[in-house]
Parts: sequence; C-alpha cells; structure tokens
Amino acid sequence: MRLPKSIVKGSVLMPKDNDSPFLLDMHKRGLQNLDRMARYPLSAPVDLVVVGAGAGGVTLAQRLARAGWRVVILEKGPFWDPDRDWVSDEKGAAGIYWTDPRIISGNDPIEMGKNNSGVGVGGSMTHFAGYVPRFHPSDFEVRTRDGVGVDWPISYWDLKDSFERVELELPVAGQDWPWGDPHSYPHGPHPVAGAASVAWQGALGCGIEMRVGPVAITNGVFGRRPHCIYRGFCLQGCKVNAKASPLITHLPDAIEYGVEVRADCMATRVEVDESSGRCTGVTYVDGDNIERFQPADAVAVCGYAIETPRLLLNSQSRRFPHGLANGSDQVGRYVMVQGATQIAARFPYELRMYKAPPPEISSEQFYETDQSRGFARGFSIQTVGPLPIDWAQHVLADGHWGQAMREYMRDYNHWTLLGLLCEFLPLPENRVTLASETDRYGMPVANFSYSLCENDRRNVEYGTNVIEEIWESAGAQDTLKIDRYAHLVGGCRMGFTPEDSVVDSSHRAWECPNLFVCDGSVFPTEGAANPALVIMALADRLAGLLKTKRVSAPPAARKKEPASLRR
Amino acid sequence: MPYDFAEAHHLPNRRLPEQAHADPYDLPRQRRGVTPQMHGRYPDYDVLEQADHWDEVTRRVVLERVGSVPEIRFFAMEEVETLTAFADIVLAQDSEPRIPVLAYVDQKLFNGERDGYRYFDMPDDDETWRRVARGLDEEARRRGHDRFALLPVDRQLEVCHGFATGKLHKGAWDTLNVSRAWSVVMRYLLQSFYSHPWAWNEIGFGGPAYPRGYSRFGSPHLQSAERETWEGKEAFEIDPVEDTQQRGLE
Ligand SMILES: Cc1cc2nc3c(=O)[nH]c(=O)nc-3n(C[C@H](O)[C@H](O)[C@H](O)COP(=O)(O)OP(=O)(O)OC[C@H]3O[C@@H](n4cnc5c(N)ncnc54)[C@H](O)[C@@H]3O)c2cc1C
Ligand code: SF4
Repeated sequence: MRLPKSIVKGSVLMPKDNDSPFLLDMHKRGLQNLDRMARYPLSAPVDLVVVGAGAGGVTLAQRLARAGWRVVILEKGPFWDPDRDWVSDEKGAAGIYWTDPRIISGNDPIEMGKNNSGVGVGGSMTHFAGYVPRFHPSDFEVRTRDGVGVDWPISYWDLKDSFERVELELPVAGQDWPWGDPHSYPHGPHPVAGAASVAWQGALGCGIEMRVGPVAITNGVFGRRPHCIYRGFCLQGCKVNAKASPLITHLPDAIEYGVEVRADCMATRVEVDESSGRCTGVTYVDGDNIERFQPADAVAVCGYAIETPRLLLNSQSRRFPHGLANGSDQVGRYVMVQGATQIAARFPYELRMYKAPPPEISSEQFYETDQSRGFARGFSIQTVGPLPIDWAQHVLADGHWGQAMREYMRDYNHWTLLGLLCEFLPLPENRVTLASETDRYGMPVANFSYSLCENDRRNVEYGTNVIEEIWESAGAQDTLKIDRYAHLVGGCRMGFTPEDSVVDSSHRAWECPNLFVCDGSVFPTEGAANPALVIMALADRLAGLLKTKRVSAPPAARKKEPASLRR
Repeated sequence: MPYDFAEAHHLPNRRLPEQAHADPYDLPRQRRGVTPQMHGRYPDYDVLEQADHWDEVTRRVVLERVGSVPEIRFFAMEEVETLTAFADIVLAQDSEPRIPVLAYVDQKLFNGERDGYRYFDMPDDDETWRRVARGLDEEARRRGHDRFALLPVDRQLEVCHGFATGKLHKGAWDTLNVSRAWSVVMRYLLQSFYSHPWAWNEIGFGGPAYPRGYSRFGSPHLQSAERETWEGKEAFEIDPVEDTQQRGLE
C-alpha cells in the first residue's frame, strides 16, 4: 500500500545504510562513540587514507567502511564538539574557518576565509548555509547544449540515485521542486520568516516563482537530531545539530564501521613509489608537530578546491616533477566561484533578518540558458540573512562609513536580502599555484588567481536587475548592493582524456591508478546550484564503484551493530 | 517629536543632496544598558540582560569581550594615538562611551589571527596597519600638523574620504594598494565594533540565541507577533508624551 505523502514525510522515512542519526545524543552535541573509534598503526598500510574530513571525504569513508575497507581520515583541523567549541556569536566563530595564509590575485581576487573555507572535522559544511539543491540535467552537458565550458563524463542520471540517498541522510526539507528534474524532499518545508516572505511577495509581483528550501535542516523527528530552533547562526556552526554536516550525518556511522579520524593532522605530501608510479601513503604533520607517514593501498584527496590542488602540486617526485598527477598541467586549473552579488532592501516595518536560517526560499527560474538574455547559462536567487558584522560589510561595500555607516546599521532591523548564485565559466587561468612563501608546516602557500570573463559579468548584471525588480515590486524604500563570490569548485577536474583533466569519470587520477580525488575540486563546471549535495552524491557514487575493489584482505569484523538503538 | 523610522528619509542614500546628516544626538538617549555615544533606536533594550539565557560557552566569550578590554601589545603608543583618532572618525564615535575597538584590533594582530587571505599586492595585515598609521600622520603633516590626532575634525574627515576613495598618494600610501588597505582596516574595525553588545543595543540585534532560539519570526503583516517579548521596541513606536507620563518623568 502506498502511504499518503503527508504520512511518509517527517519521521517515517529513515536512511537504510547509515545509522548516524541514532548514534547521537539528544542533549549532547558531540559524537558519543569516539571511545569506540579504531586506531590503526603506522606500521602497516590501511586500505585507504582520506585527506580531509569534509563533505566528500567523510561520505566516501562511511560508505567504504561499511563495505569492509579500513580507512584513516587525516584532518587538518580539530575534532569539533559543538557544545564545547562553537559559540552563538559571529566573531567568536572565527575558528571554524580556514584562516591559514593564502594569497589571492588576478583581476578579481576572491576573498577566502569565512566566505568559503571551513576547517576541522565536518569540513566546510559545518558552517555552510544549508542550501542543498540538485544540479539540473543540463549542468552535465553545457558544451553540447550551450557551446561553453565542458561536458561532464557522467550525466545527471548517473547521480540521481545518489541524490536521493543523500537527501534522505541529511535530511533535506523543502517544497516539491519544479525545476531541473522535478522531485520532492523527505521533510516538508520550514516556516518562512517575515524577512523572506517580503521577498516572496515581491517575486510573485513580477511573475517569478519561488519555493521554500531545499535546506539540510531537520524539520521533524529524525533519530536524535533535534529540530531547528530558528536562531539564524547557521554560518557560525549549528550548536543544535539541526543543520547537516558530515560530522553528524555520516561520521557517527563511519566510526562504528572502523573509520579512524586523525584530527589536527595536516597532510603535506602524497608519497609515490618511483618505479611503479603508484602512491604509497601520505606524509602529515600531527598535532604535536611531528611528521609521520601513514602507508595505504590507496589515497583519496578530499581537501576542497584550493587545498587539493595545493597538496598534489606539492607532492613532487622524480617521476612527477611538476606535482602528482600533473603531467598535463591540469592540476589547479579551472577553479570556479559563483557570482553571489547580494542586494538588500529596506521596508517601513521591522523584519529582523537575523532570525530563522538564512537559507529560506529560492528560485531556479533563471537557471537554464536563454539566448535572449545575451549570455550562456544562468543563475539562482536565494535569501540570505547577514548578522551585524556581515551587514556592516554590505554597508561598507555600498560606500558608507562614519555617520552614514552608523545610520544604516541602526536601520538593520528594517532590511532583508536576496542573493544571486551565477554560474561562472571554467577558465584555465583561474588557478591555484604554489607561492614562494611557506606556511607553518613548511608547505608552500596557495596562490589563487581569479578573473571574470564577459559571460560571467553579463550574468551577474542581468541577475542584479532581476533582484532589483523583485524589490521594486515588493515596495522597497532603498536598496544596497554588494558584489561578492561564493563557493569554490574545480581545480582537479574529471574529464574524458588525460590531456584535459586530472581524474577520470571514476575519480581516479589518470596518471596514478590508486590515487582518487573526491571533493568539489573534480567539478568540470559548476551549475548555478550550491555544491555540497553534489559533492556528497559524487562520493556516494564513487563508493558504489569502488566497494568491491579493495586491494588487500578484509579486516576482522569489528563493526558494532547499532540497529538495537533504533528501538 | 515622535520618531518616524517607517519612512526612509534618514538614510544617506535617500537624503536630498542639500540635506544635512541627521544628527544622531537627536535620537533617543539610551535608558537601559549602554550604546556607543548613548544614542540608538531601542532606548529600553539591553541585550546583556539576556545573558542568563545564553549557553555557557557563548556567555563567557561575549561577557569577556565587554568586561575585560585587552591591553595594547602590538601597536606602539604613537600608532595607538593615530589609529584611535582614525577609528573614532570612521566609526563616528565622537563622545563617550566608546567601544574600545583598537584594543580588539591590537589583540587580533598580536595573536597572529588572520582572516585567511592576503592580496598579492599587499603586505601582511599587521604591516598594512602600521603603514596606514604612518600614512595618516604624513597626511597631517601635509596639512601643517604633526599628527593625525591633532588635525581638526573636518580635516580628519577629508583625509578619511581620500582614503576611502583610494585617492591618497606619496609616502606610505605609495607602498600600498590604497583601496585594499581601506578594506583591510575597515574589516578589522567593523568586526570589533559590531561584535560588541553595546552596538547590538544600538541596532536592536537579538544577540546570541542558543539555546532559546526564536519562536516569533513571522509575517511582517502580523506586527504584534513578530517580536519576542524580550526584544527591544523601536523608538518610533513609543509616543514620547505618553511614555514620559507613564514613567512619572513629568
Ligand atoms: C559560508 C559558507 C556558506 C556555504 N553555503 C553553502 C550552501 O548553502 N550550500 C552548499 O551546497 N554549499 C555551501 N557552501 C560550500 C560547501 O560547504 C562546500 O562546497 C563543501 O563543504 C565542500 O566539500 P569538500 O568535500 O570539497 O570540502 P570540505 O567540506 O571543505 O572539506 C575539506 C576538508 O579537508 C581539510 N583539509 C584540506 N587540506 C588538508 C590537508 N592538506 N590535510 C588535512 N586536511 C586537509 C579541510 O580542513 C576540510 O575540513 C558554503 C560554504 C561556506 C564557507
Ligand atoms: S537556525 Fe536552525 S539550523 Fe541554523 S544554526 Fe540555528 S538551529 Fe541550526
């Protein structure tokens, strides 16, 4: 019998192969099974070393551990306990961003840090906003359809099952989705706060459809994950465990199946065997500043779009003098950001946009190419809700300081924002290289160069006008604009040939058969959707391909069956 | 005079060219808690009264920010003088009480905390700050004074305007990308100012909200339900005549 959707939504549907929501504690946010975490010796190879405990790395590790792989994850940052380490405060959250030195250059240098890079177990999703849209089928074939960028070596349909599995694990809350490949979500839409509802009205007024969600925030019973309390600090780390990050959505289960996470460990080189060209393991600097080497049968680099290329470029050897897997000079190229211009609007009444999660409603009506607009590809429109420091940056960007700054700041509660997510095109010169300067591990710092192309600029300009129209139709009294950029993908893209890409369609480096890249850096193009769900779905798909292909013998079963906890 | 913030005429972008800046000293005086310069739009709102409702870790961080001003360890005394005068101008802190922003900037620089990036044509942030201090004093000398802190306010404003629009040259400025230097120092200053509960009082921000969260964030068309009972009322909703009578101030 098919249950009515209203019953299926909410508490009934739970992921099949991931017990994470049951392994948490309702009243303590940190992981409860750390005392059961495996410890592998440095003396023998494990099946897989993963660099980076983020969206790609943890999801991959969890899946493979369930298939019997012995996995060690090296993570540069701390093992977060949200109760102890995170604060409900904008400035106090600085520790959860990657703030080690990076150089930014090009015509349009991209600001890093809190804008796009996380650190610590859970990766960037610990402070991501929470939007988890799918890519559209068109995103995988933009060269064929629109004559720009490149096609992916896989299609939407290769990822569809993975999208559904991951959406159930996060779980995603939102209205039925009409764009791309239409689909629905496991949890129903969250209530819409005042600030976002004004945007909704404005959009309706000029014929633009919006939908609530999709956000990776529980909206109903989900194991031991509490419900969102609408406090609006999603970008500072969710102290409630309502917003998804791999720290709580995949790692608890991974630990039950024998994954070891070594926090405070910075990978500095992937080592190779000069004769066979295979990688042998990873050298890292641990929390006591001691250099160590973890041997492994395979390595998966999952450090995100800046650090993944940086690590490979730094892994030079006689066989790979220009960096590992970089024989075609592809490592570090085609990094992309999304145009994320935001426009704030002023209304006569209080809106208090600091309440409720910043990601509330969005529109993908302008996602696909429309030749009449004068550029290829498109953009999404989404709500954002900056806290005071961020709001001050908006006011500054509009050219105000002194008394004018204070005046706009005092007006904070009357404002609300909409932001763009514009698809930018992949360009070879938008790239990560190694600078001469080194960091505290003695590793060369990344230099990230970025310049927009004409198509990018037109996209942003067009999108900006659309948002201005929405605000006009909503009756805004004043608007402020800030040009900014969000998200980072590309840098080790997957492709059809070794000449034009770093990894093949199964994330395997063309030049090194036991090296994998599984994070946002493999994206050949970026779509106009936020990347986290796609990254997790790619990891899910890769795990499905690898499962049975482990090189060494399976470990003695040490998995505990947490199913009893379900009762 | 009832305050009318429903209209937007007080906003800098909406003011007529000949209109002067609205004088912030015409705003309500703060009656509860502290705001910078004691003016604001929420005269009876003190976010610090909510501290009991915050989780312990957050409470410690925020209360320490207010309670113990870090001592200066990074800047030299002369730099402190120059940069304090500069910070007062760009944040419009022209009377007591002032949020001691420079102390927080100093603390961050001293601890070696950074924001995760540096422009290829800029020195490290600490060096940027030092050069800006030098440049500001050079501007003062060009205007016949020894130090930026000694310039009359209108000349200080003029220098800051040049800085904000990237139009300062010679000396220290030629060793910097001036617009980027502006964005670096303003980033530090705004972070220090708007992380302070006094500034939250001024703008009516709810502050840390864990574990309590919010239950009233609803429609703007339901005016009465949109605010938590503890959140501050904006001044324009308060009729000053009625208010003073109620408080027995007449
Ligand atoms: C403020 C903000 C808002 C965002 N909002 C959204 C959103 O709403 N929706 C969305 O989909 N996405 C959003 N994102 C982006 C999203 O979080 C990332 O795209 C995603 O987490 C990237 O996944 P990843 O696996 O590639 O890398 P990450 O999740 O960043 O994981 C990489 C991990 O590797 C570690 N690492 C790197 N190098 C090394 C090394 N050498 N040794 C050891 N460890 C290393 C890092 O510390 C990090 O923990 C947002 C990001 C930010 C910063
Ligand atoms: S608004 Fe909800 S999801 Fe966001 S941080 Fe708060 S509780 Fe977590």
